Amino acid sequence: MLKTMNQKISVFLILFGIGYLYLSYNLKEYPYVPVDSDLVPKALGYLLVGLAVLLFFDKSSETEEQKKKRSVPKKELMVILAVGGMIFLYIFLFEIVGFLIATALFIFFCSWFLGYNRWVSNLLVSLIFPSVLYYLFNYLLQIRLPQGILPF
Amino acid sequence: MGALDGLMQGFQVAFSLQGIMFVLIGVVTGTLIGMMPGLGPISAIAIMIPVTYGMDPSAALVMMAGVYYGAVFGGSTSSILLNAPGISGTVATAFDGYPMAQRGEAGKALAIAAISSFTGGTVSVVLLMLFAPALAQVAVSFGPPQYFALMFLGLTAISSLSEGSTIKALIAATLGFIAATIGMDAQTGTTRFTFGTPNLIEGIDFLVIALGLFAIAEVCFLIINRKDKSLSKQSDIGNLKLSKEDLKEMKGPMTRQSFLGFILGVLPGAGATIASFIGYITEKRIAKKPEEFGKGSVRGVAAPETANNAATSGAFVPLLSLGIPGSGTTAVMLGAFLVLGIQPGPLLVQDRPEVFWGIIASMYIGNVFLLILNLPLIPYIAKILKISRPMLISLVIIFSLIGVYSISFSTFDLYLLLIFGVIGYLMRLFSFPAAPFILAFILGGMMEQALRQALTASGGNLAILVSDPISISLLIVSALSFVVPLIRIRKKDATQD
Amino acid sequence: MLVFIVSFVNFIWFIFLLFLTQNILKTVTIPFLSFTMKLMKDYIWKGRGIYMKKLWMMAILTLLVFVVACGDQSADSEADSGEGGGDWEPEQNIEIVAPSGAGGGWDTTARSVGKIMEEEGIVDTDIGVVNKPGGGGAVGWSYINSTNDPHNLFVSSPPLIFVPLNGQSDLSYEDFTPLSNMIADYGAFAVSEDAEWDNLNDLFDDMKEDPSSVTVVGASSPGSMDHMQFIKIAKAAGVDIQEIKYVSEQDGGALTQILNGSADVYSTGVAETVEQVKAGKIKVLGVTAEERLDGEVLSDFETAKEQGIDATFVNWRGFFGPKDMDPAAVAYYEEKFKEVSDSDTFAELRDQYGWDEMYMNSEEYQEFLKEQNDELGSLLEELGLGQ
Repeated sequence: MLKTMNQKISVFLILFGIGYLYLSYNLKEYPYVPVDSDLVPKALGYLLVGLAVLLFFDKSSETEEQKKKRSVPKKELMVILAVGGMIFLYIFLFEIVGFLIATALFIFFCSWFLGYNRWVSNLLVSLIFPSVLYYLFNYLLQIRLPQGILPF
Repeated sequence: MGALDGLMQGFQVAFSLQGIMFVLIGVVTGTLIGMMPGLGPISAIAIMIPVTYGMDPSAALVMMAGVYYGAVFGGSTSSILLNAPGISGTVATAFDGYPMAQRGEAGKALAIAAISSFTGGTVSVVLLMLFAPALAQVAVSFGPPQYFALMFLGLTAISSLSEGSTIKALIAATLGFIAATIGMDAQTGTTRFTFGTPNLIEGIDFLVIALGLFAIAEVCFLIINRKDKSLSKQSDIGNLKLSKEDLKEMKGPMTRQSFLGFILGVLPGAGATIASFIGYITEKRIAKKPEEFGKGSVRGVAAPETANNAATSGAFVPLLSLGIPGSGTTAVMLGAFLVLGIQPGPLLVQDRPEVFWGIIASMYIGNVFLLILNLPLIPYIAKILKISRPMLISLVIIFSLIGVYSISFSTFDLYLLLIFGVIGYLMRLFSFPAAPFILAFILGGMMEQALRQALTASGGNLAILVSDPISISLLIVSALSFVVPLIRIRKKDATQD
Repeated sequence: MLVFIVSFVNFIWFIFLLFLTQNILKTVTIPFLSFTMKLMKDYIWKGRGIYMKKLWMMAILTLLVFVVACGDQSADSEADSGEGGGDWEPEQNIEIVAPSGAGGGWDTTARSVGKIMEEEGIVDTDIGVVNKPGGGGAVGWSYINSTNDPHNLFVSSPPLIFVPLNGQSDLSYEDFTPLSNMIADYGAFAVSEDAEWDNLNDLFDDMKEDPSSVTVVGASSPGSMDHMQFIKIAKAAGVDIQEIKYVSEQDGGALTQILNGSADVYSTGVAETVEQVKAGKIKVLGVTAEERLDGEVLSDFETAKEQGIDATFVNWRGFFGPKDMDPAAVAYYEEKFKEVSDSDTFAELRDQYGWDEMYMNSEEYQEFLKEQNDELGSLLEELGLGQ
């Protein structure tokens, strides 16, 4: 039944819209205004569902260019996921080990992972770049980045 | 005292050695801060406040103003080179600036941005100087019904931002609007769709969405193409020189957007971000070749860059002549005025003319500084693109993350950034345009609030929305802008059949 | 001044370094190091999918880092406890959290007090201001609550009462130790210069007849400061508070709405009205202070009390620490904040912002907060907004 990509997306959007509508109908009421906080979300929810239905029956097929854009090799997808995972880890460690260590590790490993083979310059960039940034933010701009486990 | 005397006094302040020095420090700091994604003029000025305590007020304020418009000037750089908007006012610059850089014309894009910023900045300062007190009336003429009409006009333009499927553009816009409904509703205090986390009560920050949908999503494509040699021309900076045709192309947008951007900047709440979007849309609407927009059009870079800089000067009108801060940055500047012992308000021009005119006069110098500082630096700044791909990718990711962290100081927003990066990537995979999403996010939230403020005041009577000439004419224009393209399409279809 | 020059130089330096590492070093790479690296790499990676290996290695490394970090943290917290009584001195830098973004009232107070403490030598350690915006303060409060470190303080004001009462935060003032209140600010109710009302009684007489004929505008959302200060005074005057129309305008357009007639009454802080009154754009019907305020223009504003309406509203602002603080630490901070409050620099700052001096020590503050909480809680209850 779900032949085209549009139809799959449309079903997803309809489900999303219904979930959003459900939440909108459960918003707390506030008695002192003529238009309560649920009006616009409800309207948007119905609009989204309506547009998704239109998308479902949309006959226009994708152009070749668009199709090509979507055909990502499995291996590359894995690489993207891995980088996403690294960002996730970075955020997770950011406040625990501190900006300096987390950033140095991230730059070094992310660049290396993506195929940056010049070890020495990679090492230097991943040490100097975070240090300069840290100094700039913490001492000159007075914007505190997490110091983590380091004493400074 | 006449305006002319005042202006003379202002130029004396601005052209003194001290004045020139502080303008220079201000604009340089501003440009650098603007270039860093996330870090914007608000934080910079807030941090300067305790530092400037006890300084000569006009010098301090001239410097802070410099930081403000310097940041708007510099913000375009990272939009163009990395697709990572430096500040929220330069998100629209990425629409065409980044494709242009990808074509190997980064130098040209930066030059266009610098020249249009300079034009927008300078023309609007002239307007500011001539009409500041008079324009104060314009600033207060917009109440909730007029804002509603203005935002509505902006939203109707969404269909024009679509490339390909209109339905997809509308869906993207609806999703953007939905994202704007997250957080505490100002009119009732009801928390909407926050799932119980306090991190969402104040809503999602605009820059989280902008950096996610643009910078992080773009990173995904950079990763896939990191070994693609055919794209290596991207690291070419290209020729800096603009051809005669380019300049001719820029003339129209620059003239129109200097005025339009300035007016939008004068309106409290609108500001540089909205001005740049509306500038972009209007130029696309009236362009002879709208299909070039989004693919690296000269006009598409010139329009938002002129508009956001013009709006920045415009924002000084309500601040200096009424004491009303029209944006987050000017609100912080108001605080700076107070610390320095100056009360901005209708009496400022009489009580402290040297401050009032000093700031305005300094903006001339500041804009010239920005131009002569930026143009020669372009080849060096654009060298960022020469950094090898894997390293560039890591650095863009780090810059976006730090940018978001320096606004919210919470890892929650960093996760949000990652989520919006994923959403942005999926949207691009399935050909949903990101521009309508971001436009609806910023206009939608304001439109809802304006609508409900108006209806609360009128007791639910819809007539208030069409009760005065400004809102009526804005609504008529929005109706036309919706209908006319449809007719055009009809005609096109008819001739094709 | 120097700071900016230095920052500029640093930035150039940083860009320079970036290119240095990128362009120069690639030609001057130390051959030996890269050769060993290459050997190691070949040795370890021979024969398997390269990405998987890289991933594995990274996973192990992050795990290591994480374990080290956790170990270190637990050691930290052990060292912190185990004190009590006697004198208390900060052992590390003090951190003041402003539970808002840069530039707001909390941020300004925190930064100026921190600066005075450092520059006048009141405190020996460094003082850093940290912004933790979000949730109208709730994000910052939960941060303080979770770190639970006597070196982490925060600045707060009436939202600490309002936000929990509105059900937007699980933490309330009772979960923190009030240290010292520093300043007070008062609310003002302003109308356009050509409005028909000249004092609060005129306004409230009209509102008693038809409360919905008047639109009130303020910057905060319903159930918070600008709304509740008006409700409090209006209730004392006998207006039906359930019928009051309140519009929230958070983008700085509240004053505009008064000037263009979109709304009738502007509920705000006293300081925001002064310039506009001087310029003859608006008039202030009444202020929420206990007594007449000092200062040019300010002393012309009649209080609600003087107009026979027995109600006041204070926008207090002070400093708090985490719950269950060492009494010695509380005493230490009380003394330091008192010193700031008495300093000339702070007095000057108060004048500039139009703040009133209102020092309270920890005990007085605690009592004051309880009173405020009970009073405002019952008002919110009546409006049906309380949780």
